[in-house]
Amino acid sequence: MLSDLEFQILLLSLQVAGTALLLMVVPGVVMGWVLARLRFPGKALVDAVVHLPLVLPPVVTGWLLLIACGRHSPIGQLLESWFGWRLVFDWKGAVLAAAVMAFPLLVRSVRLAIELADRDVERAAATCGASPLRVFGTVTLPLAMPGILAGLVLAFARCLGEFGATITLAGNIPGESRTLPVAIWQFTQMPDGDAAVWRLVTLSVLVSVAALVGSEWMARRLGARLGPA
Amino acid sequence: MKLELDATVERGGFTLQVATTLASAASGVFGPSGSGKSTLLGLVAGLVRPTRGRVVLDGEVLDDVAARIHVPTHRRRLGVVFQHGHLLPHLSVAGNLEYGERLVPPAQRRIKRDEVVELLEIGDLLGRAPRTLSGGQRQRVALGRALLCSPRLLLLDEPLAALDRGLKRQILPYLRRVRDAFAMPLLFVSHDLSELLQVCDELVLVADGRLAGQGTLGAIAGDARLLPLLHEAGLVNVLHGTVSGHEPAEALTQVTLDGGARVTCPLRGDPIGSRLELLLRPDEVALATTDVTGISLQNRLPGTIRVITAASDRILVTVDIGQDLLVEVSARTVQQLGLQVGQPVWILFKAMSLGGRG
Repeated sequence: MLSDLEFQILLLSLQVAGTALLLMVVPGVVMGWVLARLRFPGKALVDAVVHLPLVLPPVVTGWLLLIACGRHSPIGQLLESWFGWRLVFDWKGAVLAAAVMAFPLLVRSVRLAIELADRDVERAAATCGASPLRVFGTVTLPLAMPGILAGLVLAFARCLGEFGATITLAGNIPGESRTLPVAIWQFTQMPDGDAAVWRLVTLSVLVSVAALVGSEWMARRLGARLGPA
Repeated sequence: MKLELDATVERGGFTLQVATTLASAASGVFGPSGSGKSTLLGLVAGLVRPTRGRVVLDGEVLDDVAARIHVPTHRRRLGVVFQHGHLLPHLSVAGNLEYGERLVPPAQRRIKRDEVVELLEIGDLLGRAPRTLSGGQRQRVALGRALLCSPRLLLLDEPLAALDRGLKRQILPYLRRVRDAFAMPLLFVSHDLSELLQVCDELVLVADGRLAGQGTLGAIAGDARLLPLLHEAGLVNVLHGTVSGHEPAEALTQVTLDGGARVTCPLRGDPIGSRLELLLRPDEVALATTDVTGISLQNRLPGTIRVITAASDRILVTVDIGQDLLVEVSARTVQQLGLQVGQPVWILFKAMSLGGRG
């Protein structure tokens, strides 16, 4: 059904998006909680920085990442000397680009879900002897879970579709950074690439629909449990 | 239980200032809405931080602003029942009951789950989700959850306010059972005096962020300045007694009140010998200086006037009939009958006036 090349592209895309998702789930939930619950000086600035990738042209984000994490930057040198990692022209760069671009979408969803979690139920849990950390884990998180899941799906889709920042930071290297969108763009540049484009576009739609259906199913299961309190 | 309060809370333009010691087994806090009674409960629970002063429970300092002590809510070992229950919506009833219990070290668990489930009659609900429960069921589960935290003090924040009258009547006996079966100290906050009178033995009246009065109902009713607040809170007599006989043919039940007086009330289901509380509104009682016969009122009891409290528009007479009974009369009545403290009088009221209506 799928050619080896297409299979490689799909696998790379899922690998990049999945890794990016794993990388940002904890920071995303924490950041969402921070923005929903804490008040501190400079919060507006943090909020703006987190959301910047949403409003900047992706190429700009990619270029800024390239400057910040490229081989000649302090961060890039640190990564290379400690772990032997290179981000530029590497699938790890594609992961970073996807994660940075999708992070604000996750944070927004988590923040909204935590803002909607019932503070009174949290207080009730505290009166039962639950420490703030336990309240977060046993009350806030479960109550916010549908919103967090929705945010993860949104972020996953954003990772799969990430193009501008990826190609700027990680390039267009087969097996490293040639994800679905990059490959589609590549084939559109070829005179006889139409058939390949059609197949990859269909694949892209299928993956996205599967993610959507899966999240809908999970949200419904959670919703049935929570219901209107 | 000994709760020492000497604290100020300031929140958004509202100030609560309290200085008192609560030492009775069941204290009832009442007052108009917005008076600060829920803030008082929040202060004890640690949900509201004082801006000045101390909160000490059984010798343990929970708050001391000067010494920078604030024991967080989860370390206070209290149980709280809120107006809307606030059950954990993602856990079953059983999960809610276990939630607090599991956080109590086994050695400190004074209350057994089976006993609570039996006492509150929630055995059939254990597998249910909170959102499928009725209001009354929800409050019983919330009460059970709070009890299973083995608290030193159970705080009740308007636990019946969201229930209709019929349900209130069903829940109140559970509160009394909890108080008696577990010897659990209560701090019960309500805007409805009649609820408190059926459970508590000491009352605290909060008005405009201050303690306006404290003591038994008799003590508070003796202060003319507090009468309007008492009426606003739904002043009612709660008569304690024992069922002594039934007359099903006439649809009446005989009750012997503590102190020996016998009264007749509408037929009750309680078996002979069981304890009960009867509610009697002060304005449904008549006073006479002599015994009156040939009258339709079923209940005629001799008593002695203990206190006469005169507020601007109404007069409250406390009559000792073996227990204190408040009777509301007009100023003209007092004048015409020449009522005085120490005077023997007869009180009269209909059997139908003795209700269990909340």
